[in-house]
Amino acid sequence: MTRELTAVMLTWEFPPRIIGGISPHVYYLAKSLAENGVKVYVVTCDFPGAPQHEVVNGVEVFRIDSYKNPSPDFATWVYLMNVNMQKEAAALVNSLGGNVDVFHAHDWLVANAGIGLKHVFRKPLLATMHSTEIGRRNGIHFDYERMIHETEAWLTYESWRVICCSDYMVSHVRWAFGLPGDKLVMISNGVNAGVYAKAEGEDLSQFRSKFALPDEKIVLFVGRLVYEKGIHVLVNVVPKVLEKVNAKFIIVGNGYMREQLSSLVRNIGLAHKVLFTGFVDDETLRKLQKCADVSVVPSLFEPFGIVALEAMAARSPVVVSDTGGLSEIVEHDVTGVKVYPDNPDSLVWGITKVLLDETYTNQIKANAYKKVQEKYDWNKIAQQTKGVYEAVLSEYSKSSWA
Amino acid sequence: MRVIIFSWEYPPRIVGQLADYVKELARQLVKNNVKTHVVTYHDYLTGGYDNSEGIKTYRVTNPVRTHIGVLTWVLTLNQEVERAAADVYYNASKQVDLIDAHDWHFVPAAVTLKKALNVPFVYSVESLEEHRSHGANSPFNMAIKSIEWLGMYEAEKLIAKSEWMRNEAYRLYKVPLDKTMVVPVKSTSWIKNILEIYQNVGGGAGFK
Repeated sequence: MTRELTAVMLTWEFPPRIIGGISPHVYYLAKSLAENGVKVYVVTCDFPGAPQHEVVNGVEVFRIDSYKNPSPDFATWVYLMNVNMQKEAAALVNSLGGNVDVFHAHDWLVANAGIGLKHVFRKPLLATMHSTEIGRRNGIHFDYERMIHETEAWLTYESWRVICCSDYMVSHVRWAFGLPGDKLVMISNGVNAGVYAKAEGEDLSQFRSKFALPDEKIVLFVGRLVYEKGIHVLVNVVPKVLEKVNAKFIIVGNGYMREQLSSLVRNIGLAHKVLFTGFVDDETLRKLQKCADVSVVPSLFEPFGIVALEAMAARSPVVVSDTGGLSEIVEHDVTGVKVYPDNPDSLVWGITKVLLDETYTNQIKANAYKKVQEKYDWNKIAQQTKGVYEAVLSEYSKSSWA
Repeated sequence: MRVIIFSWEYPPRIVGQLADYVKELARQLVKNNVKTHVVTYHDYLTGGYDNSEGIKTYRVTNPVRTHIGVLTWVLTLNQEVERAAADVYYNASKQVDLIDAHDWHFVPAAVTLKKALNVPFVYSVESLEEHRSHGANSPFNMAIKSIEWLGMYEAEKLIAKSEWMRNEAYRLYKVPLDKTMVVPVKSTSWIKNILEIYQNVGGGAGFK
C-alpha cells in the first residue's frame, strides 16, 4: 500500500458535542491514530458553533446535519440522522476516489450508516461496542428496546471485528449477540493523564471553597444521572455517611433522575450537603476531581468506567462497584476500594474507609496513579487499534471484495 | 442500458396500485432491451432472488425484525436495499445507468448510491404523505415528508402520473415544474416516454 492507512470513523458525538463517553473516546483515539500515521476522517453530528469541516490534531472532522425536525422518539431520530450521515460520508469517500481502507462505527447509533457504507464501497467495517441495550436496561422488556438490541446485533453481524474496551464487555457482547470468540477484540479504553499532570501543584483552596466548607470532605460523583449509574444508591446513603464523617456530596452530570433525587435530598433536609451541579466545563471538572477526597462510581452496569480512571489520574482515591469494567480497572485495597453493587451498607463502608484512614488512602492513590500511567495510555491503544485495522485488511485482501 | 428499480411492493406482495404498475414497467423495459433489476421487500412468501420474464428480482428482508412503526422499519431496510443494489453494480462491472425509485421508502438508498457511486436516480411519484395523511404534521408525518423532500431534491427528474401531481410536487416541495415529467399510465406513448427520460438521465454518470 503506497498511501497511508485510511479510516473513516462514524460517531454520533465528538467534541464539542459531548453526551457520554463516546465523544472523548473517539477524540483521543482519532488523535492518537493520526500520531501513529493513520489518516482519520471523523463523520459526526453537528453542534451549535462548531464548523462543518475542520482539522483537529491532524484529524479531518466532518459535521453533518443531524436531522433537527421533531422526531417521534429517540430511536427514530437515530435512524433519520443516519440517512444524512450516510449520505455525507458517501459523498466524502467518493471525493477521495473511494480510497479508504476501513469504516469504524461506534455503537448502534451509527449502525445504519456504517453498514450501508460497507456495502456500497465494499470496504471492511469494524465496530466498537461501548455499551448494549440489554445491559443498560438490565434485560429487554419492550419492542422499542428489542429493536435497538437487534440493531446492535445487526451491527456486530456486519462487522469484520468487534472491539470492546474491557474483558467484561467482550464476554457480555459475546453472550448478548452470540458472536464467535475470534470476532471480538479487547482494547482497553484510555485516559489522558497529561491533562491532570499539567497543573500539578496549583493552589485549589480558593476553588474548593466555592463547593465545600474547609472541614467538609468532598465526595464526588461524575456521570449521567440515570438508573444504571447507581446514583440513587449513593444519594440514599448520604445520611449514613454523614453519621460518621462531615462531608459534602457533589453530583456532576445530568439525567432523567435529577429532579427526583434533588427533591429527595430537599425532603430529608440535606440540601446543604448535596450539590447538583449539572454539566460543568472540562477545567472545572478536572479541578473538582483533583479536590475530591473520594470519587465514587456506584454503577449497576458499567462497560468500562472511564470516570474511575480519570479520578485515578487526578490522584483522587476511588470507591467503585465491583461490576463490569470497573472490576478490572480497580484492584481492591491496592488501587482503590471495591464495594458490592447496589448495596448501601457496603458503599457506606467503602466511602468512610477512604475518608477516615489516611495512610491507607495515600497508598491506594499512589498505586492508582502509577497504574494509569502504565496501562491506559492512548498511544498504546492507538497502536493496538492500528494493528486490528492491519489484520482486517490482510484478511480482506484475500477476499472476493478486494 | 441497465436500470435498477426500487419498490417496496412488487407481486406477489401487493399492497396498493404500485406493485402491478412496477411489474408492468419492468416487463416493458425488458421488451425494450433494457437490462432490468428490481429490488424489493421479501416477506418469506417468495425466495430471495428470481429471474422470470427476464426481470432480475432481488427480495431483501429486514435485518432488524422488531419495529415500533413503519418508519423505523423502512429506515433499517434501506441498508439491505443498498447491499442488493451495490451487488448488482459490482457484478455488472459498475455499468448501471440509473435507479428508478418508486415513492419515498427507498429514497435514502437511492441518495446514498448516487453520492457514493455516481449512479443517478429518478423519483417516480405514486403518492405523497400530504395526501395520504390528510395534511397531518406530526413528527412521524414530517419525517416521511423530509424523506420525500430529500428524494425530490437529489433526483435528476421526477416522474409523475398526472399534471395534478406535478403541480402538487411544486406546491408542497417547490420542485421546479420542468423537473417533473408527466407520463400518464394509460397513454399509448407511456413506455416510450419513460425510456426517453431514462436515456436523458442515465446518459453519463453511471459510466464515469
